[in-house]
Amino acid sequence: MPKKDTPVKKVVIYSLVIFIAIYSFFPIYWMFISSCRSYRALFSSTSLIPGPFSLKSYENLLGMTKYLINFKNSLWVAFVTTGITLICSILMSYVVTRYRMRGKQFILHSMLFIYMFPPLLLAVPLYFIFTKLRLTDTLWGLIISHTTITLPLGVWLLWGFFKAMPFELEEAAMVDGASRIKAFFWVVLPLSLPGILTVSIFSFLLSWTDYTFGLIILSSDIQKTLPIGLATMLGAGDLNWGEIMAGAFLISVPLLIMLVFLSKYFVKGLTAGAIKG
Amino acid sequence: MKRKDRHIIIPFLTPGVLITFFFIVVPFFMAIRLGFYHMESYISPPKFVGFANYIQIFHESSFWNALKNGFVYGFISIALQVSIGIGIALILNETFKGKSFIRGLTLLPYILPTVVVALTWQWMLDGSIGVITHAVNKLGLGKVNWLETPTLAMFTVIMVSVWTWTPFVTTCFLAALQTIPLDLMDAAKVDGTTSWQRFFYITLPILKPILVIIILLRGIWMFNKFDIIWIMTKGGPLGATEHLPILTYQKAFQTYDIGGGTAVATISFVILFIIVFIYLKIFPIEG
Repeated sequence: MPKKDTPVKKVVIYSLVIFIAIYSFFPIYWMFISSCRSYRALFSSTSLIPGPFSLKSYENLLGMTKYLINFKNSLWVAFVTTGITLICSILMSYVVTRYRMRGKQFILHSMLFIYMFPPLLLAVPLYFIFTKLRLTDTLWGLIISHTTITLPLGVWLLWGFFKAMPFELEEAAMVDGASRIKAFFWVVLPLSLPGILTVSIFSFLLSWTDYTFGLIILSSDIQKTLPIGLATMLGAGDLNWGEIMAGAFLISVPLLIMLVFLSKYFVKGLTAGAIKG
Repeated sequence: MKRKDRHIIIPFLTPGVLITFFFIVVPFFMAIRLGFYHMESYISPPKFVGFANYIQIFHESSFWNALKNGFVYGFISIALQVSIGIGIALILNETFKGKSFIRGLTLLPYILPTVVVALTWQWMLDGSIGVITHAVNKLGLGKVNWLETPTLAMFTVIMVSVWTWTPFVTTCFLAALQTIPLDLMDAAKVDGTTSWQRFFYITLPILKPILVIIILLRGIWMFNKFDIIWIMTKGGPLGATEHLPILTYQKAFQTYDIGGGTAVATISFVILFIIVFIYLKIFPIEG
């Protein structure tokens, strides 16, 4: 039986925990209450209590800027990037773990090596290539550049996942007369759902939050994704912090929802080395 | 590879390998090659100039400044992330109510987009009406210009970076803490050890391999970090927060010194490679 904590220790632990919670959450709280504070109060009060309440910042944001278009662009880029990453990384890692072949170690090592690339080292030649392919300032250009980060990550995560999955399961299915492909679709894929979900979450997250590649590749307002659109609002004449905080909050909403429902997979991914920034 | 397996291996590998080859491997070598060329723009024909870009860069004080800033930013922010991350993990590993809720809460700073983090902090640190500036002023420390004074600007970007990336360390360390056998801790308690002793003589040695990897991954990412500094300071004021990734961007996409930009990127990759190599020699990763 572990001993009960003494009352003093309890007080210390609870105060530290509260401090950590405030430290982690305050900026997000402040972002939110600034986004729905009336214009006048925003620049005259630093009261920690929410209000006076106003949705003007959200109205301005959606009415005066290309925010909705940016939102649509971001969604499209993140979903397509995630799809491409999933297809390629599932197929690659499956083959690499299930077959004996030459160059297997090479593939894995290069995936780790790519992890070390400064994004800007790739960005310059990619921009060069995209200029030739007429992909600059297009969402496809951005999707391809996001895939250069998410694909190595996906292969890396799924490789660990498939390796840990016992081969006997597929064998049993194949003994029962299923073909390799059938065993792959009906046995391997369903069983690897947690791994696939982890890869999807991180691909989506990386693509949705990317700023660097977007900044380089996109230039026209209607092509911009949310992070780039929002960053350009800072310093644009008639916008103020209320609208920027409203925009910041709306970008974060999908991620907050994901965290609430899928936090298990976040932790799983992080501890397996999935890194976002 | 057996012949009958080919009809699976080849189609399964092709899409991933093609993307990796054309958009990662080819650009990588192209980047190294571009460092030896001079170009006026992304469409003008490249002209071979040998090591001219490199010689030029080594003569620029902005390069040495950026190198120094990169080390300052990288080392301090990693040291803080790791120590604060471990501290928070140890506290969150104690027993208290609402544990999983609080653990989720501490992950929040990490999943927010960098843009959101940078802008929110800029708003909180705003010179005239920022909530933190206001609070610090009320404490009698005067009006602080977080991002306008050179030394303070570096402090500020480090502080914000630590806030947003520490949860990675916390989460990994917290997961690793669960792997320490409880009876080991209990036995040590019975032997009359203090909690500091248990941390330094049991927890740390057991978790060392994981810590080595955490520091490695954080190090690689902090060394390459571009977005947060760019959004908050653009490398300023007076180059105080300009490090190699910022210098690369400015050269390649603002002054269109494309050769120079890729040369800086190549140099920073080589430096990182050497550091990682030495690091892995000192702390080999088993398994």
